[in-house]
Order: sequence, then structure tokens, then C-alpha cells
Amino acid sequence: MSNALVQIDSLRIDVKVTRTRRLTIVNSATFDVEPGQLLGLIGESGSGKTMLCRSLVGTLYRRGAYIQSGSLTFGGTDLVNASPKDWRDIRGKRIGYIPQSALAGPNPVMTIGAQMAEAIKQGEKMDNSYVRARALELLEIVQIRRPEIVLKQYPYELSGGMKQRVMIACAIAREPQLIVADEPTTGLDVTVQAEIMELLRQIRRDLNTSIILVSHDLPLINEVCDDIVIMHAGATVEKIPSEQIEKTRHPYTQALYNSRIDLVEPRGKLITINGQPPTVGDWPTGCRFAARCDYAQPQCSADVEIPLATVGTKHVSACIRQAEIWGK
Amino acid sequence: MVIAFSLIRLSPGDPAAARLGAGAETEAVEALREQLGLNKGALEQFINYMAGIFRGDLGVSLVNGVDVLETIQRTFPLTLIYITLSVLFAFIISIPVGTIIGWSNKATAVYIFRGITAIIIATPNFFIAMVAILIFSVQRNWAPVFGYVSEFPENLKYLWLPIAINTLILVAIISRVLHTSVVDTREEEFVETGIIRGVSRPRFFWFYILKPSLAPTVVLMSYMMATMLGATVILETIFSLPGIGRELVGAVLASDYPMVQGILLMFGVITVLLSFIGDLLAYALDRRVKI
Repeated sequence: MSNALVQIDSLRIDVKVTRTRRLTIVNSATFDVEPGQLLGLIGESGSGKTMLCRSLVGTLYRRGAYIQSGSLTFGGTDLVNASPKDWRDIRGKRIGYIPQSALAGPNPVMTIGAQMAEAIKQGEKMDNSYVRARALELLEIVQIRRPEIVLKQYPYELSGGMKQRVMIACAIAREPQLIVADEPTTGLDVTVQAEIMELLRQIRRDLNTSIILVSHDLPLINEVCDDIVIMHAGATVEKIPSEQIEKTRHPYTQALYNSRIDLVEPRGKLITINGQPPTVGDWPTGCRFAARCDYAQPQCSADVEIPLATVGTKHVSACIRQAEIWGK
Repeated sequence: MVIAFSLIRLSPGDPAAARLGAGAETEAVEALREQLGLNKGALEQFINYMAGIFRGDLGVSLVNGVDVLETIQRTFPLTLIYITLSVLFAFIISIPVGTIIGWSNKATAVYIFRGITAIIIATPNFFIAMVAILIFSVQRNWAPVFGYVSEFPENLKYLWLPIAINTLILVAIISRVLHTSVVDTREEEFVETGIIRGVSRPRFFWFYILKPSLAPTVVLMSYMMATMLGATVILETIFSLPGIGRELVGAVLASDYPMVQGILLMFGVITVLLSFIGDLLAYALDRRVKI
């Protein structure tokens, strides 16, 4: 056993659509998160990133989803069968969560101060003056100016960037070991996005927190993260240290990397990935990228799971043809 | 107010002739018209009327010479009591119904809820009232068919059925709106953060579910209370309650211009006042609301 903080192994998440119909959203997710690691999780829309995040904070049930099989442990606790009490001890205290949309994250009918107090207390009794001092301290960590005033304000009075800083402040209120940031910069403009990323990096440095940063923006992830997990159609297809992204062994990662706008010459033709990602739940057999892959061969679509194979240090990849394509 | 003033004058019927009876002499009718100021031009009548309002004078009834303001003071409390009680009960019932069905989101419960409320909303209130009278008053004898006694414990006997009918209709409308808001709210991202912050259950339901959903309901309630004024006209007539709605019907039938104008003016003032209070409450609950 490694000393990983989070271990996810062949996790499968299903969602209840109707009384009898089930849809598999995440088919096989496998990766570890080391303590203090900044891990990027990347994939197209519908690849199951958000559901994976929710499985880490125990809110899958809200969307009628549940863990069908596989294992998910956090700091030695089995999260698949975690009791409500386990969740109370973990969620918010040991795992912080930064929601997907900065604009919809804060509760619109509560002041920032009241929300931060909740995040600090986590349902426990605490001295009010301590809570207030801690809230001010947190706002300073996330570099919000005039925190005394912000505490009394409502979310609608703050800009998108400030709201997200507040959400980050809430997430780190109890100095968690892990922060799950689900596309934390969606809807923010590029300069604010850069500031938020810098802030996350700084928090990781100061608190030695592991961060799972979810995004569909490969250049961004490549810039800030130590390692990158690539998801495609509900499965993790590759985990690779970010400095090696150019030496990827997976056609999907390569296609994602090549479709980066910043690699294209000015006014050159934009490179896109052929076709559409497969429909959620209606997954093809074998490699799910085969239909869109330039290297696909009939055996890619055979009815067997494609295993993640170790291809380098801290580098795993799920492609049966990687030896042929890239050589050994 | 201008509309109320014009409409009642445009409606057929001559109050002077009506007051003197069918066999009255033409000269006598003319004399009475002059005495009541009805022979003057419409504009002049309007100006006189407006001047009266600012002096707190709504005029006197053309039918029996009673002061309009006094009549309103005599009949309005009854109407106010049962409208307020209906709205209060409706609020108390709608909040848990709308919230629980919205939050649980059980398909069967939602279908039943929607079906029942749709039927209640689609049925005219006089029909519900007549069916209720048939069942509770005629067959079961739990309530008097009509009439009213104004002494306190006794009057409840006459009031409970109209209040129950009003409440039923209001519950159907209000809980439906609240249900929709709660369903919208529960899909919001911030509900997720509420769960993660480990807030206690009562706190969670209030701050993360109900409070963000309540603003449209509160605005609707103030509006419904105003609409209820109109509905009283029908219910008070059916139950023969001596409230302001029945007074209005009588005044319209008798072409009692000052009385109709006075009551409609008051309805207008109350409607504006209520919607203002509703907006203020909504703002207090949810600062996103623009006044």
C-alpha cells in the first residue's frame, strides 16, 4: 500500500434515471492523490469529472447517483460505505470543496459573514469572537481587501472573482487535507482566472494541502498542476506528470494537446478532435476513443476493458497500441 | 379611480329614479337629481368628488343617505378578518406542503399534488362554495347555510366554512408557486455548499431551501390578498355575510354612485399598499429582489 491520501480504484458511478433505468456516468476511474499534490483532472463535458468530485464530498445522492462498484478511500477511510457520521467528520473539515460556478456558489440570501461562520463552525459550537477573527484572517489569506465590510455584504454585491475567493476561504476554513476544486474559474475572465490559480498554488504551498483541480482547459492545468489525470467518456485514460505531457502515450491526450489554440500558428487552421464524445451511458465496447482515434484498429473495439499500463515514472496510460505507436 | 368613476356612470340605470320608485313623477325625479348634484356635467361631478376625498369625505349613499365612509367602517372589518385568517392559514399550510413535496421530489407525490391543486385552481370559487354548503350545511348540518351573528365565539360558526373555502383555494395556488421555487432552489449549486458546511437540519431547510425560495411566494401572497377582495364579492353573496363585498354588489345594483366609488377606491388603496408591503418583505428575505 502506498501512502496516498486518496485512492480511487475502478470506481463506477451510476445514476438513477427512472425507476428501472440506470445510466453509468463514470465507468472506471483509477488514480491516487498524494499528500500535498496538485492534481489536474481534465476531460470533455460529460466525461464524469463533476460526478467524481461529488463522490469525494458525498453529495452524489442529490442527483440520484451512487457508487455502483470499485473503491474510494480517503486517508484510510472507506468513502463508498461511509456513514453519515463519517461524512460529518470528513466533509468540510478534512475535504474542502470549491463549487463549479463562482456565481452560484455562495448562498444568495446570507451575508458572507454568516456563510463563513458556518464553514468555520461546521455545525460545532464556537466562540463568536473567535469565528469572526478567523473569518477575517481567512479573507486576508484569499487577498480580499476591506474584509470587515465584505463580511456584512451579500453575494450579489461582490464580483465573480471575489465570490470565488470567498468560496476558497470557506473551503480552507478548517485547513483540510484535500481541496476539491470543480472548475473553479468557469465564468471568470482570464486575469481573474490567473489570480485564482496563483491563490490555489499558494494555499497548497502554505497548508501543504492536496488539491484536485478539475478543468477542461488543458493549457491551464498543464501550467499549474504537478500531475494530470485525463478522463474520457467516464474512464481515466492516462495519468501523467505535467512536464511530460508532450510525451503522452495516449492518442486522446495527444489529440487534446494538439487542439490547444495556443499551439496553432496565427490564422492557421484550428485542430479539433474528430467526431463527438460518446453519449453518456451509451458507451462503446473496448476503447471508447476508438471511433475518433486516428490509430484505431479493429482490436481496439473488442469487448474487453483497456487496462491502465505503467509506461514511465508516475505515468500510466490506457491504450493497447501505445507500444506500436510510440515504440518502447 | 377615474375608471371606477366613469364605469359606474356608464352603466344603465338612474339612481334618482330608482330611489323614488317606478311610479314617480318626472318633475320629482328631476328635483332629486338636482339635489344630489347628478344634473351637472360629469367633469364637474368628478372635480367635486375629488375635492371631497381630500377632505376625507367620500359622500353619502344615494339610496339611504348613509355616509359612505361609515358604511365601509361598518362592513369592512368582517371582510378583513376572514381574508386575513384565510391567508394566514393558507400560508401556514402551504409552507410545509410546498417545501416537503419540492424537496422530496417523489414522482408520485408530485403528480398527486399537481393534479389536486390544478383541479382546485380550475374550479370557480362559487362552485366550490355551493358544493361545500351542500355537503357541510345541508347534509351534515355542521354550518349554517347563510347569515351572520357578529358576537365573537358565535360568529366563528358562520365564518369557518367561507374561511375554509378561501384557504383551500389559496393553498392550491401558493403551495404550487412555492413548490416550483423549491424545486428550482434544490438544483442550485449553493445547496451543495450548505451540505458540505455541515449546517444543522433546521438551519439548512431555512437558509438553503426555504428562504431563497420564498420571495416569489410572498409577493404572490400580497397579490392574492388583494385578489381575495374581488372574490369576497361572490363568497359574501353566497353566504350572505354582511361584509364589504356584499355591500358593493348591492350598491352596484342600486346605481349608488358614491358608495361604489368609495368601496372601489378603498380596494385600490389596499391593493397598492399590500403589493408594497409584499415587495418590502420579499426584499427583506432575499436581497436579489429589486424594488
